[in-house]
Amino acid sequence: MTSTPLLRVTDLHTHFQTGGGLFAKRSWLKAVNGISFEIRQGEVLSLVGESGCGKSTVGRTLTQLEPSTSGQALFNGADILKMNPAEFRPLRRDIQMIFQDPFASLNPRLSIEQTLTEPLFIHGLAASRAQAREQIAETLERVGMDPRVMQRHPHEFSGGQRQRIGIARVMILKPKLVIADEAVSALDVSIQAQVLNLIKKLQRDSGISMLFISHDLGVVRHISDRVAVMYRGQIVETGDKRQIFETPQHDYTKMLLSSIPRISERVA
Amino acid sequence: MALLEVSNLEIAVATGGQLLPVVRGVSFEVKANETFGIVGESGCGKSLTSLAIMGLLEGSQVRITGGSIHFDGRELTALSAEDRRAIMGAQMAMIFQEPMTSLNPVYRIGDQIVETLRQHRDMSRRQARDRAVELLDLVRIPEPGRRIDSFPHQMSGGQRQRVMIAMAMACDPKLLIADEPTTALDVTVQKEVLDLMADLQSRMGTAIVLISHDLGVIAETCDKVAVMYRGKIAESAATGELFSNMCHPYTRGLLNSIPVVDRDVEWLEAIPGRVPTIDEVLSGCAFHPRCAMAEARCESEDPDKRDVATGHTIRCHFAEVGSA
Amino acid sequence: MTFIASFLSMFRGRKLAIVGLIWLCIVAFAAIAAPLLAPFDPLEIDPVARLSEPGMPYLFGTDHFGRDSFSRAIYGARMAVIIGLGSVVVALITGGLIGMLSAYFTRLGHVLMRGVDVLMAFPALLLALVLMTLLERSVTNTIIVIGVVYATTTARILFGMTLKLKGEVFVDAAICSGAGHGSVLFRHILPNLISPLLVQASFIFAFAQLQAAALDFLGLGLPPEVASWGNMLSEERIYVTRAPWLLIFPGALIILSVFSMNLVGDAMRDSIDPRFKDDIAGV
Repeated sequence: MTSTPLLRVTDLHTHFQTGGGLFAKRSWLKAVNGISFEIRQGEVLSLVGESGCGKSTVGRTLTQLEPSTSGQALFNGADILKMNPAEFRPLRRDIQMIFQDPFASLNPRLSIEQTLTEPLFIHGLAASRAQAREQIAETLERVGMDPRVMQRHPHEFSGGQRQRIGIARVMILKPKLVIADEAVSALDVSIQAQVLNLIKKLQRDSGISMLFISHDLGVVRHISDRVAVMYRGQIVETGDKRQIFETPQHDYTKMLLSSIPRISERVA
Repeated sequence: MALLEVSNLEIAVATGGQLLPVVRGVSFEVKANETFGIVGESGCGKSLTSLAIMGLLEGSQVRITGGSIHFDGRELTALSAEDRRAIMGAQMAMIFQEPMTSLNPVYRIGDQIVETLRQHRDMSRRQARDRAVELLDLVRIPEPGRRIDSFPHQMSGGQRQRVMIAMAMACDPKLLIADEPTTALDVTVQKEVLDLMADLQSRMGTAIVLISHDLGVIAETCDKVAVMYRGKIAESAATGELFSNMCHPYTRGLLNSIPVVDRDVEWLEAIPGRVPTIDEVLSGCAFHPRCAMAEARCESEDPDKRDVATGHTIRCHFAEVGSA
Repeated sequence: MTFIASFLSMFRGRKLAIVGLIWLCIVAFAAIAAPLLAPFDPLEIDPVARLSEPGMPYLFGTDHFGRDSFSRAIYGARMAVIIGLGSVVVALITGGLIGMLSAYFTRLGHVLMRGVDVLMAFPALLLALVLMTLLERSVTNTIIVIGVVYATTTARILFGMTLKLKGEVFVDAAICSGAGHGSVLFRHILPNLISPLLVQASFIFAFAQLQAAALDFLGLGLPPEVASWGNMLSEERIYVTRAPWLLIFPGALIILSVFSMNLVGDAMRDSIDPRFKDDIAGV
């Protein structure tokens, strides 16, 4: 770990216009309302909170899927929020995103090979189809899939397999920062555990940094180094994983932790 | 005598001219004032079991192919559609996962509760409306007299689920079936809704069948639990017994798969493989391809139900209490 | 091969649509093989045999110039297919591009879609009439005018569907992979629009027949010497009492073809992606 953070977000605001038109008054939804955090090299920071707290918008803003309203996000020293789409495009290789819904995040019309080839060609990482195929096979193996599935289409796979393919699409670019938005929430418990182990292993092996967005505190505890708790567009508490889970300071964090149904209580 | 007795229930889906069994030999009973939990992953048959009890499978591709469902002295599978309707909503009621889609968006919530009440009870509009306000108050909706005229979209997800519970409880049912009632809700709201259900149960003595994929929710709310895998009950016991003497390798695998909030685990002990789809044909024990204990026998021979302790049954050739 | 199989599977259990499909195949065959099938030259005048009744050798009788109606009907099928396909191509390309680009580039959409709204304020036939009076009567111009008229509805429909697809997670995922606008639009969005486009094409094809016939009838469509079903109706309409078969045959051909195309379109619409069912309601 180095001391300068890979990503430093300062006072980020993302507001959405909800009302307004020719005659109506404009109104704004402050989805992200002034948050600051940093992620160091090789570190996993989790953004945890309930639905509507703005955690997903943070991820979407950092990948320029939504425009920011104000604030700064320094990635390797350059402010990615100020970049226009053309300036940002080369950085898309470094900042990758894993999506929640494994059924919706793969284009149903493209084969797995086509889906995985595209990012390689865009970023000039493969000169030929054969080269791309080699890298795809290697990456599929890393995510625990048989490389022979390349020719198939998304509908032929289960949810867990699709999420592995989604992860392969991200890992094939060897990114520096991965933003995982509820990456395991749509999966069955037994499959969620496999995918969670996989993400953790890939993160460890390649030393990438990760912003892990989730509502599930158990998953967050399992995967993160540090945790930021979000409530209504703001971060109410940031800390080391241990500290957040064992000695939470903010009332909201305490309430979240006490709301989780636990198995141990009944067993004891 | 139990309120609800399901025995050897068989359900199959008709696809492409053949019948695929999706629920096989499921038996359990639920007494008044008791909460029975059914837990399992997608496609294990837990929701179909609950729909079968409610009689909501009629007219679909799915049908009951065997077994019986005995409720309060009557055999439900033999009832006419008309008799069933009289029971549904009055003596047994159901709440669903998605509270937005199960409320009709064009009617005020009060009107929807009033309609349910008047369908089953001989009440005037006035009386029904007063009762509806009472019910909303019972499920802790603030200012029930005013909120009764709200439309569903004007309420939060948690409030909508409470309205659903109010509608379900409108006619003091003896049995409440809750299919993933809190899955779409945030943890803090989930806690409120589960507390509310427990509170109503203790006041009215309702029997509850709770369907969930979340072992934590099951552990906190249920008296007895059945763990389903691929259409069968793999393990069933009283909640305390199940969680302290977990036997079946699937149940143990499920528990080990869950990342817990109270301690650090380096790697989760995931169950290998994937959840089988309904059209896969599996010989022997359905869990054997993913099971660490599996031996040759498991591939060929489907284990029968057997007792490992009082009221604790499993379907596994090898597992025993304390063998883990 | 799989495309044909999946196309045919759309018609399972729809007897009427199969009949429609067979009829359309016959029309298509007549269009292709017109010179071989037609017993006479459709333009050849035989003054002796004016207005003869259906029979031998004039199967459908002859018109007031003494031209063979049956041969004209067969060449009319050729014209129907040309007008239909031409209008479909013009409507789908212009309307499709306007709709897709408008949905994808929101600001451009504000301008383009207002223009489409203005055009849609005119009834289809009125718009076609206005445009046609500005142009010369020719096959190309008829195709362009009908294509433009249905480009408006196509643009509306594709606008809605592209907006929906633009919100799909796989589009976000493509953007995050670094895909540019062209790649997102034509590689990720367009392939998902193919089946609704096909359905749209079938309806445009059917309506183009009616439009073309109406324009011909009003004397604004194809040049009068061209053998088309609409022209046959238009030219012989004054003989309706003396030689009703001159109107019955082309009229029946138009009705049959439009009806068949609609049946086929309905079958295709009912079997496409449920996401788009509400968007396509016919033109």
